Amino acid sequence: MWGFGGRCNGVRLLGEFVKGLWRENPTFRIVLGLCPTLAVSTCVANGIGMGLAATFVLLGSNIFVSLVRNIVPEKVRIPCYIVIIATFVTIADLFMKAYSPLLSRALGMFVPLIVVNCIVLGRAEVFSSKEPLLKSILDALGMGLGFTWALILISAIRELLGNGTILGFSISRSFEPPLFMILAPGALLTIGILIGILNYFTMNPVRKLFSNGMKRSLK
Amino acid sequence: MKMNQMARFGIVLGVICLTATLVLAVTYHITKPKIDEQMRLEERKALEAILPEADTFTEKSVDGIGYFEALKGDRLVGYCVRVTANGYGSFIRMVVGVKPDGVIEGVEIIENQETPGLGAKIDEQKPGEKRSRFLRQFEGKPAQSVEVKKNIDAITGATISSKAVTDAVREKVTEFLSKVKR
Repeated sequence: MWGFGGRCNGVRLLGEFVKGLWRENPTFRIVLGLCPTLAVSTCVANGIGMGLAATFVLLGSNIFVSLVRNIVPEKVRIPCYIVIIATFVTIADLFMKAYSPLLSRALGMFVPLIVVNCIVLGRAEVFSSKEPLLKSILDALGMGLGFTWALILISAIRELLGNGTILGFSISRSFEPPLFMILAPGALLTIGILIGILNYFTMNPVRKLFSNGMKRSLK
Repeated sequence: MKMNQMARFGIVLGVICLTATLVLAVTYHITKPKIDEQMRLEERKALEAILPEADTFTEKSVDGIGYFEALKGDRLVGYCVRVTANGYGSFIRMVVGVKPDGVIEGVEIIENQETPGLGAKIDEQKPGEKRSRFLRQFEGKPAQSVEVKKNIDAITGATISSKAVTDAVREKVTEFLSKVKR
């Protein structure tokens, strides 16, 4: 359909982007990157900021890992990927400090921690080290945006219930917000219940994911 | 065979690290002026917020303590002392405004890495407020007297951040006042 040497077609390429948004959502399905998710999702602004920063890093890392995938020897691939990822995280951190100091201050130490976000290293190891450039770009965008909307959802719940606000705007003063919602228990509860609900409403998700994975590895 | 392999590992790793270093050096160089400017802007805003009646701030230092002399015309309005506390997350950079008699005019936080929702409440203002409720407690109190549980209320669930700020303000400003009077 798109004529890239006949090997790729438009629908399959679009699938690489869309899968990160829902079917293989990094937070709710693959369940990666929970550490920053738990820590940062105390308010929607932080969630959006972290999601976009992580998407930028994912994009950069997927692109360059895919570009050097045939040059990097397998035995030293992890240090190479880490250096590439850390470079993009530092770029993101420096630009955030320079042009968005409020957000940088809000996210604090969790921006540098994007280096060890399992989504980033995970996609490098599982996907972009084996796939061509365009697919890697789409994968990064899909995974990044999937991570971002998951963060927004979790942060919205925690901020609303734990602080009575959304994006800093006071929504309700009629209840005293339970503090634990913006602490660790709130994070774990919110994410756990959300995964349970999403699993329940998409019937037999584990079996579906497993059979998709099997189909892919048999290709 | 093995030497060739190791050489290849080294070269690939080396080239990647070299490229990364170059890219980061350039990025750092590009962003440094803007980052420094942001810090100075933050500080400037803080100075004006603490001592609004002053029209000039002169940057000085005494015995390693950086401060600003706030003047209105020729009259000394007060001092703004740079104070850094060891918070829960990392450093908390503040500016403390004091009148020459040692009474705190106000405390402004420039930079902090405290836990969002908890320690970060030391710098959280409700819409319409100039300063966080925690920091407003310092206004009007003599610098050497501020102490958590005595005349400063800590933030629930953020004792370390609260104490760090209070202790740093008390100790640094008292030290500054004793040095600047000389």
